[in-house]
Amino acid sequence: MLTATWRTLVVAFAARSTPLRQALAGLVLLALLLVPALRQWLTASMWRHMVLQFPMWMLVGALLAAALSRAARTHIARWNAYGISGLVGAGTVLAVLMVPRVLDLALVSPSIEAGKCGALLLAGAGLRLSWRAAGLVVQGFFLGNVLPMTAVVGQLYVDSPMRLCNAYLLDDQARLGQWLVATAALLAVGWLVKVARWAVQRDAMVVEQNLQTTQPSQL
Amino acid sequence: MLRTALLSCLLALAAVACANWLTHDFEVWTAEGARRLEVAQQPVSVPPVTVDGVGIPAQPLRALLAQGGGITLVDFVYTHCQTVCLSLGSSFQQLQAALQADHAAGVATNVRLLSISFDGAYDSPAVLQTYSHKLQADPDVWRWVRVPNVTEQRALLDRLGVVVIPNGLGDYEHNAAFLVFDAQGRMVRVFDLAEQQLALDYARYLAKGGRL
Repeated sequence: MLTATWRTLVVAFAARSTPLRQALAGLVLLALLLVPALRQWLTASMWRHMVLQFPMWMLVGALLAAALSRAARTHIARWNAYGISGLVGAGTVLAVLMVPRVLDLALVSPSIEAGKCGALLLAGAGLRLSWRAAGLVVQGFFLGNVLPMTAVVGQLYVDSPMRLCNAYLLDDQARLGQWLVATAALLAVGWLVKVARWAVQRDAMVVEQNLQTTQPSQL
Repeated sequence: MLRTALLSCLLALAAVACANWLTHDFEVWTAEGARRLEVAQQPVSVPPVTVDGVGIPAQPLRALLAQGGGITLVDFVYTHCQTVCLSLGSSFQQLQAALQADHAAGVATNVRLLSISFDGAYDSPAVLQTYSHKLQADPDVWRWVRVPNVTEQRALLDRLGVVVIPNGLGDYEHNAAFLVFDAQGRMVRVFDLAEQQLALDYARYLAKGGRL
């Protein structure tokens, strides 16, 4: 019952979120993120900077990628077999942006801030264009790198007795660390649940096929 | 597949190049680390700002640092602080004691201490006077100034990489450190609070004519 309702919701949402609407939503979000007051609020705290602003820029990229034409996607896919390029790009962007100096620099240098946001946007688009194509193995490899890295950095932020960013307070840094560890854990669990469901479904299909092939001989 | 491998390698290389630039060849990870490394590589001159303080009439900071031609150990403070500044205060008290011992032993150490307030609006010379008296600062060794002009104060903090943020409890958090200045008014080195002895020894070494 619950799964049926959920499925109806997902189908209804998918029907309404046409590529054009998604791209428009991306543009709206982009415009919002460029509002100085919102940028100020997001970057005023260390945890909002990394846990809210970073994913929002990635979401802009993912939404805008919906507007790519079929031809463009085919062209990109030629350089992105199994989604490897996209995931390598997204993984390296996230790795570089975890250097604490980036957060301080982004506050004082407009060009670093622009580079940071642009890289996150591209990482978001790369993730979207690569995720399906990657399949479970490549996805697992990507998450197996990015999530432990996030959790380790998060734990460092929790444990560090020193402020790693001049512009942020120590308790803010610890809170960011907790957020990073929790986010990594949640994403890992979510993905594993997805893998488990896929395995169960595949087993069910195999059993069904076996039944169909064995039944006639039993009769 | 070949194209994917090529693009992936290029992306990874670009990331390494970015990280390499960001971390000064993987030497530092924080903005403070980068600041200290950059200062050690390339001294930073103080901007033309006017200071006044305890027994010090308004004059350019550069002129104050040039007085006596020695080395100055600088810290940034504000007087109604209860946390880090007090520990910095006691560090400077210990440094003062060490320098006074030098004088008493007849060793001519041309090293002086200078506390600069980053809260010039509140820390008038009179306030600094009271505060420095409380810390038993010896005016011959340990001097106290502020930058009365807000714009100039901002320029000084920016140039020297001093970041001050309110901590929400009425106090300020700042990247407290020992800044070593030469007589030409250049910040030549930044030492961590934990490196008090190193900062003092380095200042003594420079004051004796040692090279950077």
